Amino acid sequence: MHEMSLALEICRIAEAQVGRPVLSRVREVGVLVGDDAGVEPANLEFCLEALLSQPPFDGARVAMSLEPGDDLRVTYLEVDDDGPPN
Amino acid sequence: MTVRRIEVRERVMAKNDEIAVDVRQRLATHGVPALNLVSSPGSGKTLLLERTLQDLGDELRMAVVTGDVQTENDADRLARWTDRLVHAVVTGGACHLDARQVATALEALDLDDTDLLFVENVGNLVCPASWDLGETAKVVLFSVTEGEDKPLKYPKMFRMARYAVLNKVDLLPHVPFDLDRAVACAREVNPELEFFFTSALTGEGTAAWYDFLWSCVHTPVRS
Repeated sequence: MHEMSLALEICRIAEAQVGRPVLSRVREVGVLVGDDAGVEPANLEFCLEALLSQPPFDGARVAMSLEPGDDLRVTYLEVDDDGPPN
Repeated sequence: MTVRRIEVRERVMAKNDEIAVDVRQRLATHGVPALNLVSSPGSGKTLLLERTLQDLGDELRMAVVTGDVQTENDADRLARWTDRLVHAVVTGGACHLDARQVATALEALDLDDTDLLFVENVGNLVCPASWDLGETAKVVLFSVTEGEDKPLKYPKMFRMARYAVLNKVDLLPHVPFDLDRAVACAREVNPELEFFFTSALTGEGTAAWYDFLWSCVHTPVRS
């Protein structure tokens, strides 16, 4: 039910990692979701895709991996270093 | 296209949990135990708090952070019994309280003038289980008008809780509720769960609940 707030937090983590001007060049966001994390993976993916399709992002993909446990974390970001500066 | 991969490994709840650690530290500094009341809507959180504030208010300085979603009805009811009340800002539709809201609410309370803090969470047996608010313990309520298998349907909440209140026991003669089965279901997911059996309406069983609250104030409860 709170997947959108988690998706926003994932976007905040991405911004803290690379800085706002680089967010438009993020191509992929890796997210690990535990099956006991209280998260519906499809719902989180939907929310994230909605956020990543609009500025300051520019269509980054979501790469979600599922595993047992209650972990929920951003695992990696892929950034296109040749992309146009924002 | 040169794609660079940045390893992150950051927990999505990290920021919330960081704030929760601060909240827990602040409460500990002032010696204030905090109980996070969680349940589905309608289990009787507000009525149990009303009765508790009414019955113990002369002896215990109790503060409440409440998280109404759409109205201020709960806050209005509780305000009759305590002036140590903070209405956490919950925008319409929110499904839980987070640590930042509790941290903000604490700013409005004089913790040196408080013996015990209640957080009345949003009525929801799913989402609040995932959010550490810096509380001493979660107390999960359910009632005899719900199914005995609630703990099996919402195992995470019953696992995260240290205490359970089975409320509305005054209705037991009128509803087909198997109390032993309910306790068994809860203990199946959390064998350590400690139970209270209450009617917030009639006051039945609240003596044990009050003894527990006193014990929280005198000695820290296990989290």
